[in-house]
Amino acid sequence: MQIEDKKSSLIVLRKTPYGSSLSRSALDVALATAAFDQPVNVLFMGDGVLQLLPTQDSTPIEKKNVAKILASLPLYDIETLFADAGALARYNINPAELTLPITTLDASGMRELLHNHDHVLGF
Amino acid sequence: MIYSVLVLASPNSGLAARSAALFVQAALARGHVIERVFFMDDGCYASSDFRVMPQDEPDAMQLWINLATLHKLELVVCISSAIKRGLLDEAQAKRYETASATTHSAFTVSGLGQLVDATSKSDRVITFGG
Amino acid sequence: MVLHTLSAGPDSSAFSDCLRVASADDAILLMGNGVYIAVEGTQPCSDLVAAKVKTFVLEADARAAGITDRISSLVSVVDFDRFVELSEQFPRQLAWY
Repeated sequence: MQIEDKKSSLIVLRKTPYGSSLSRSALDVALATAAFDQPVNVLFMGDGVLQLLPTQDSTPIEKKNVAKILASLPLYDIETLFADAGALARYNINPAELTLPITTLDASGMRELLHNHDHVLGF
Repeated sequence: MIYSVLVLASPNSGLAARSAALFVQAALARGHVIERVFFMDDGCYASSDFRVMPQDEPDAMQLWINLATLHKLELVVCISSAIKRGLLDEAQAKRYETASATTHSAFTVSGLGQLVDATSKSDRVITFGG
Repeated sequence: MVLHTLSAGPDSSAFSDCLRVASADDAILLMGNGVYIAVEGTQPCSDLVAAKVKTFVLEADARAAGITDRISSLVSVVDFDRFVELSEQFPRQLAWY
């Protein structure tokens, strides 16, 4: 399928990696959007920043490892993952310990990111 | 304007799923075009043909069917969300050799490409969740 | 300009996260559990008003909750037709829940 028009999308992820099926659904949408060559970015906000923890081991719960899926985003040209700086601080996560290509944003940075996309999808 | 609507909430929990249908109805009444309604995650349950509603409770699915029939709406259910929830159309039922299809014929089960296609053509993308 | 649709209640992280990123030229539509945030005389309602974002509440959901007589005068009650009109005015919509 050839999709001619280009509209940029921002996917906002606010759920923990395994507490809700929405985290996977959000990533599926991001990957599909990129696969069909539409500009897309992802913003991890609130509890969503917990998806970024590199030490996830989903073997005991028999689910796909969300951190591993996130590591594949750059292969789909989603080269920067945006993260809520306030939420990282609240969860005592040092951005330097995250292995993914993250750019942290404060509230005004997140506002600007929202406004820089044609469509915003909240998960 | 051209709208795409993404439904993530189940009709059985909360008010969002019903609001999605009423939003679509109001948008059509205001003369807008609905490019596609895409049901994903628990939103897929809107397509279940085997649900039985008590007599004194409204049938949310009927609202979608009426809108689809009247306005030739495209109601698409995300295949990966749907099949793991036991929602299969005729094609999927045949493919996976299940006893029968479980989705109403007003809904098509398809891939995420349909969502991306719709949003790429839309002026507005409205998401209903929770 | 963003239309924020907020379906989670006053104690939710969805509410606090929404307020953090809502701009003065955005709008917030309260629906589902979010309608309770519009109840006058409550801290969440004060926080909402202090954010100085145009706020609306979906009539059907407010009526279901039984709070139509308690809604702050600073929050406008809207039906679905007005909901669609809001979506025409705001190029982006973000669902919080």
